[in-house]
Amino acid sequence: MKRRIPESVFLGREPLSKDHMNKVLVLGGDRLGREVTKRLEREGYDVILAEDSAECCEPREPGRAPVSMLSRVRGFVGGFTASFATPDGDRTERVGYVIAAQPARVSARHSRYGLTRTDRTPSLSDFEALLKTPERLPVRRQEWLHVAFLLGLEQESNPVVFSRVLWCIENLCSIRNTQPYVFTRHIKVAGAGLEERYRNCREKGALFFKFDGSGPVVVEEQDGPRLQFVEPMLGMEMELIPDLLIVDEDLEPPELTPLLEAVPTAILSEPFLQPDSPRFPGVETPKAGILAVGPARGVFDPDVVASDIESVVAALKKDRYWLDKAAPEVDPSKCTLCLTCIRLCPHGAITFRDAAEIDPDSCVRCGICAAECPMQAITFSSAEDVNIIEMIRDGVACMNTSPTIVAFLCSRSGAQAHEAWGHSLSPAFLTIVVRCAGTVDLSHILAAFRHGADAVLVGGCFRGNCASVYGNVLGEQRVEHARQYLTQAGIDASLVKFVSLAGNTPLRLLESLEELYAACRARG
Amino acid sequence: MTRVQKQTMHTDVLILGGGIAGLQSAVELSRMGLDSVVVERAPFPGGHVAHFACKATDRCQRCGACVLEDILQHVKSSSAVRVQVRTDVERIDRSAHGFSVSLFQRPLRIIPDICSECGKCEEVCPMPGALIRSPLDQALSIDESRCSFFRDRSCKACSEVCPEGAVDLHTGGEEIDLTARATIVAAGFKPFDASEKARFGHGIVPGVVTSLELDAVLRDGAGTCWPNGKEPRSIAFIQCVGSRDAAIGRNYCSRVCCANALRMAKLLKNRIRGLEVTLFYMDLQNFDRDYDKRIKEAEQEVALVRSIPAEIRKGQDRPVEIIYHGRNEERVTQAVDLVALSIGMSPPSIDFLQGLAVGSEGFVGEEGQGVHTNMDGVFVAGAARGPKSIEESLADAVRAAGEASSYLRKDIGGGSQ
Repeated sequence: MKRRIPESVFLGREPLSKDHMNKVLVLGGDRLGREVTKRLEREGYDVILAEDSAECCEPREPGRAPVSMLSRVRGFVGGFTASFATPDGDRTERVGYVIAAQPARVSARHSRYGLTRTDRTPSLSDFEALLKTPERLPVRRQEWLHVAFLLGLEQESNPVVFSRVLWCIENLCSIRNTQPYVFTRHIKVAGAGLEERYRNCREKGALFFKFDGSGPVVVEEQDGPRLQFVEPMLGMEMELIPDLLIVDEDLEPPELTPLLEAVPTAILSEPFLQPDSPRFPGVETPKAGILAVGPARGVFDPDVVASDIESVVAALKKDRYWLDKAAPEVDPSKCTLCLTCIRLCPHGAITFRDAAEIDPDSCVRCGICAAECPMQAITFSSAEDVNIIEMIRDGVACMNTSPTIVAFLCSRSGAQAHEAWGHSLSPAFLTIVVRCAGTVDLSHILAAFRHGADAVLVGGCFRGNCASVYGNVLGEQRVEHARQYLTQAGIDASLVKFVSLAGNTPLRLLESLEELYAACRARG
Repeated sequence: MTRVQKQTMHTDVLILGGGIAGLQSAVELSRMGLDSVVVERAPFPGGHVAHFACKATDRCQRCGACVLEDILQHVKSSSAVRVQVRTDVERIDRSAHGFSVSLFQRPLRIIPDICSECGKCEEVCPMPGALIRSPLDQALSIDESRCSFFRDRSCKACSEVCPEGAVDLHTGGEEIDLTARATIVAAGFKPFDASEKARFGHGIVPGVVTSLELDAVLRDGAGTCWPNGKEPRSIAFIQCVGSRDAAIGRNYCSRVCCANALRMAKLLKNRIRGLEVTLFYMDLQNFDRDYDKRIKEAEQEVALVRSIPAEIRKGQDRPVEIIYHGRNEERVTQAVDLVALSIGMSPPSIDFLQGLAVGSEGFVGEEGQGVHTNMDGVFVAGAARGPKSIEESLADAVRAAGEASSYLRKDIGGGSQ
């Protein structure tokens, strides 16, 4: 008999409903959020723009009252429930998508240099504001105005920040009798036009000091900051008392807490929503319907941010190519609501009512839930995936080679490496393509041996490269589990192996297979 | 070459270049219900990325090269994308409905549907490099510029030995007339020609290779470019070869070389125990989201020398000698086994699209215009627009496809119907 669990015990529960596919919540705060909003409205989406920072509330058309803090997001693509805390109390909105498009958090680095923020030691932002009204620049004590910048000394700087420093210098150069100095480690010219602007600034007289080891020592004295340093090219001890010492800034992702809670893998990628992986090159996160634009995914270059906006449109319209395959199904008579699947699904695709329930639009068919379910309640029913075990049985049965080796290959790495190899493998190898290495479970490995295989190889993506974030790690753990199991049964555990692969490592696949083959031959 | 047959094709978007930017643009367009023809000069799609090695050690280093295999799978499964390999653009004209394009497809020479890739032709071919294999699926083809049949008809060994009769030396090229409603220029980049910097010894000193050559070697199996066939104990990377070099009029950073060299260094150190890596550089550029951590790691793992060498020459005990000026202008000589030149990205040559504006560095497009060009209906994506990483090229492709699709919809909306 199934246990009835009071709903209040589980917070994750949301009904699966897809009635809000056209409604988008954009979390903004400056121009970026508004640009995303404008772009999506042009595509005919119904957009709620939530801006939680007071300073950026420009007059907006009616019906677009500023919404305040997002406090929670629950649900699935097409039917999220977003809760807000507003001055008039809590309110909720039903939306199909949630897009994080907030500006970067900018914080001055005074504390890293042991400085305090004063008129003589302003932050880069302070100084930019000052340059817009140059008459407010301090009265020159001497004939020249000496302006020094501390840039990326304790922590690497960003080309975006470097571009802003160049802007300041370009402006300073148009003011007579100013001398800019930049104290840095690495000039960050990896951005459009930066190298040329940097050269121009140098030609106009700005001095750049690049330090390898320790940079200047900054002493705050009564008459202002004093910089003591060994000039890197000449090796001479020098001292500078600038009229202004400008302190650079950190660029950090915005505060994303409610969304970090909604994307299950964010615990591994905090403070970002996306894993740092080539499998997430655009704005998509592992959770369908939650997208990260620009700073929310660690992208600050304005040119790439502009691509992100277009990428949002593409992500919303995109047919998810995996949807041609059916999602796995849960047998309610077997499900005991242990919640293993809900906890392990990297895509946050599972909820439950009387039994676990999988949202087909959020599921990418990685198969982790099916492999992990202790009750074997989750199975794929589509023809292709029907039964890995049947494939093993039928496959091994018609092989009359000795030895016989079964290779489970992830569709995104091992199988592609196999294809890139181009030649047919020896008939001793039975390859079974699985969507993710996380699909392969103990029963598959044991079945291979039971049906006569001599060795098993599981080929998954390298760590940090799994499209299901940790499917490869789970696959490797299960191989380890299988090895222990086999050792206990008196079988040589070295005959089961996990290998990390990528589509462009065909030789590595081949070498691993040959190694296993040789090990089998050696055993006789 | 004889020209036979004449085909006509219609498509929504013509994509010039079958590297990752072009292919990804095509995939994105197909998702928006638009079809495209990707024109690629080489015998196989993938561009430079097809030759890149996976940089993973025990974990992924996020270079992104493996994404190409994913994109190709989508391309293969999509009926909306047609990839024309071995095809040159002869001219592009404006027409009432967009663009009228003349293409010339050189024959495939080895018919993929018949060839069993047995490799017998490779065994008998006397000309090195005449038979080439796609790094993506090992499909064979003939490089006519190296094949002696196309020089003087002196050899037909491959055609005679082929058990399937898959070798076709006689078919002429095919002319194709294509009409397209929009164009995406995704012509990628040209690698800087290292011989322009003769003092670095590329092509003269054995043991001096370009970063692209090293990458291809690592993909195909390490070892073939090691001088004297011995695994190197020391490697030096020279950064900014053809980048940030005002003396030769190249006032820009190629953006990806620091990341590439440092990833390669990590990979090689992982493969070769005790390998010493030195990096000659001006400034280290950021890569990855955790760039501060990555650069601090590099400072621990690699010997960093902030100096660009004055000369690279053949060494005495070791294959290569690097001469550079140290901090106090003193002359330093360092002997190493292998030198990799981190060559920069040059703009592609696009001579068939008359009137297409380029920026000050010669890359397509104008500053601040994003993927738009000065020509209506012509967009630009990827490294053709300026040096870009794989990830940035993919983002660019999505953007160009989006803009092209908006343009085409406007086109329909404002049409005469």
